[in-house]
Amino acid sequence: MKKLILKSALYFFLILILLEVLVRIFHLGKDTPARFVDEHEVEKWVPNQNGFSVTGNRRQNFSEYNINNSGYNSYREFNPTKNKIEVALVGDSFIEGFHQDYYNSIGKKIENKLPNIEVYEYGYAGYDFADQLHLVHSYKEQFQLIDHIVLGIKFSNDLDRGAYNVVYSRLALESPKNRLLKKSKLLVYCKSIGILDPPQELIYRFISLFKSKQKFTTKSDEEISRIKKEKEKQYLTNFESLISTYGYDKERYTLLLDSRITSPVFLSYLEKNNFNYIDFADTFEATNRPTTLIYDRHWNNHGRQLIASAITEYLSKKEFQKPKP
Amino acid sequence: MLFNSLDFFIFLSVVFIIYWFIFYKNIKIQNSFILLASYLFYGMWDWRFLFLILASTIVDFFVGQTIHHSTSDKTRKAWLWVSVIFNVGLLGFFKYYNFFIGSWVDFISILGYDLKSTWTLQIILPVGISFYTFQTMSYSLDIYYKRLTPTKDFIAFATFVSFFPQLVAGPIERASNLLSQITTKRIFNYNQSSEGLKLILWGLFKKVVIADSIAPIVDDIFANYTQYPASTLVLGVSLFSFQVYGDFSGYSDIAIGTAKLFGIELMSNFKFPIFSRNVAEYWQRWHVSLSTWFRHYVYIPLGGSRVSKLKSVRNIIIIFLVSGFWHGANWTFIVWGGVHAAFYIPVFLMGRNRIYMNNVVAENRWFPTITEISQILLTFALVTFSRVFFRSESITDAFGFLQQIFTNFTYDTYQHPLGYRMIDYFILLALFVVYEFKIRRDERSPFKFKSKVVRFVMYTLVILGMLLFFDDNIDRSFIYFQF
Repeated sequence: MKKLILKSALYFFLILILLEVLVRIFHLGKDTPARFVDEHEVEKWVPNQNGFSVTGNRRQNFSEYNINNSGYNSYREFNPTKNKIEVALVGDSFIEGFHQDYYNSIGKKIENKLPNIEVYEYGYAGYDFADQLHLVHSYKEQFQLIDHIVLGIKFSNDLDRGAYNVVYSRLALESPKNRLLKKSKLLVYCKSIGILDPPQELIYRFISLFKSKQKFTTKSDEEISRIKKEKEKQYLTNFESLISTYGYDKERYTLLLDSRITSPVFLSYLEKNNFNYIDFADTFEATNRPTTLIYDRHWNNHGRQLIASAITEYLSKKEFQKPKP
Repeated sequence: MLFNSLDFFIFLSVVFIIYWFIFYKNIKIQNSFILLASYLFYGMWDWRFLFLILASTIVDFFVGQTIHHSTSDKTRKAWLWVSVIFNVGLLGFFKYYNFFIGSWVDFISILGYDLKSTWTLQIILPVGISFYTFQTMSYSLDIYYKRLTPTKDFIAFATFVSFFPQLVAGPIERASNLLSQITTKRIFNYNQSSEGLKLILWGLFKKVVIADSIAPIVDDIFANYTQYPASTLVLGVSLFSFQVYGDFSGYSDIAIGTAKLFGIELMSNFKFPIFSRNVAEYWQRWHVSLSTWFRHYVYIPLGGSRVSKLKSVRNIIIIFLVSGFWHGANWTFIVWGGVHAAFYIPVFLMGRNRIYMNNVVAENRWFPTITEISQILLTFALVTFSRVFFRSESITDAFGFLQQIFTNFTYDTYQHPLGYRMIDYFILLALFVVYEFKIRRDERSPFKFKSKVVRFVMYTLVILGMLLFFDDNIDRSFIYFQF
């Protein structure tokens, strides 16, 4: 019996080591760049890192990222000047684009279509509208040189708060324990494909045995509608609060949104108050090819191509003052 | 509690440790503990159905004793009928009641009467009922045929009926094999336990990597068969052959491996049926415990092949139809059985039904001959054809599927419904077939390599395969649980 247990434990340990080696050889697990909060309290990636982002098992999506000197995933450095035309794309992981090679990003796709424009992608996973305006405000000298700023906004996600503060829960991912765990590519891979969910669920189930059970109440349709209206109202208040805090240049700023998932109340507010926005709902609706990845809801190459086209079309109608002779 | 769940492995570890460390001295306590664990294992699905197992156990325990002690043939037969009627009655009620009512209503409507199907009931099929009822019945039948002396130990008998590794989907054991082991003191055997762990690993691979990864493709093709060309439908049913094999043989391997951990040897249920050279050999290698059951308790009592050719053919048709019906209360399974009878009878009439009984393909060679490869491919094609009926929801769907193959005889590249690369699956299946061919001589030793290093690499690759093909979103229950 002892022999069986000891030998099984030994085999288990050796197999884990060999699996770790194999996962590294075939690069099945994703690399995770380090993040930090800079002197302006802006959360971003530690500059000048690169690696590979992997999604799904069997490397269903494999792409290279490159964090530039400014702390964002881009093939170019951000050096805005008065005599060039620059456009900034500011947003969350959808703009960040770890799901596609950095040299084929949305910004690069736009530049391919509009060669006289430089596109700076300030994308960071988890950025909401407060993060975005805080960033633009904190680096206002730089952003003032940029001719146009496109801000990605998802009404139901990005307006949860009306004031900016550092999101420490996100920074907890940088804790020594988490950084140590991420050193094991096998663990990172197993977590990404959901194989570690059952043990976690088991632990939660075990803990819940000792917790008092909460009564589950179903909400009536009226109540759901009331809560939804209250939330919409709150989001709108947050939007107004943020733009009054940080300022919002309606001439230079444009929102990028999907009207299919945006409240009509917010859309009519934007219309009424002359906020410019790019709505990519129709473009996505018209295509019969998938626009998102298999393993998550981020845009795939086709989706990102459509986004780039929508932005390009919008920008080509703009009359930029630069370059100056 | 599924064999491929974390809950099961925690349960197994706890039961294993208590079984060998605490109760190893007293066999009665050991059996009582295994019985309790088995009831707990089964009760996790639905504790109410434990009463059915208990009822079946009590009836057959009592019937076995009575048959044994009766001297009159009439009384013995009468008590045997009690067991058969009780067990078949349980099956009839829980599994076939709605089928009979539905078929009766359909028949009456053909005659022009409109009989509303108001007598159908909302009955849940108790998991494993087809397996444990057949197992308990075999006990009474063996005592009736004087092949077995009944046990006086009720706990041992109840453990035989509900032994958790094989309770829900077999192998369907005969008392002469399993009960005799339960009543004998078990001593921990390192080699046996080690073999058990290897079988569990290989079974998990077949389930997680082969069966579960293919499942979404098969589901998609069968659900949308009207929209696909012949090439895709042929792909779908061929993949289903691998799916059902991986699923059921994977389950059996885990069951046999788990039993080994408790010092019990269960019979082999699958002996590499994908390398069968004719349909008769296929049935000697596929779901062996069920085929054996039908041969012993239906085919031979009907006269088997020792009667006239005509009667033998009748007997073959009967066992295949009954076997089909055993799988499910649907005409699709009966037609599936009928199709197999139609494939088997020519082999039987040519006297080729027993020629491959004691050997495997390329027994003493590295590679099969061209003739053997052709035979294997033909058998695979025939068996796969029959699976159209096995997999389809209804007879209409099955014929619609076949009609689509012949009327839309075109080729088109198939795209995975979730967008995955199809080439991954083709490479996986090719490697799987090659590996199965390599180990084809011994179904109970999937990692039989002299070199420890090779064995270790194989374990790692098998686990890596599971990591590569694991999909959290797939329904991971076993196909044969529905039977």
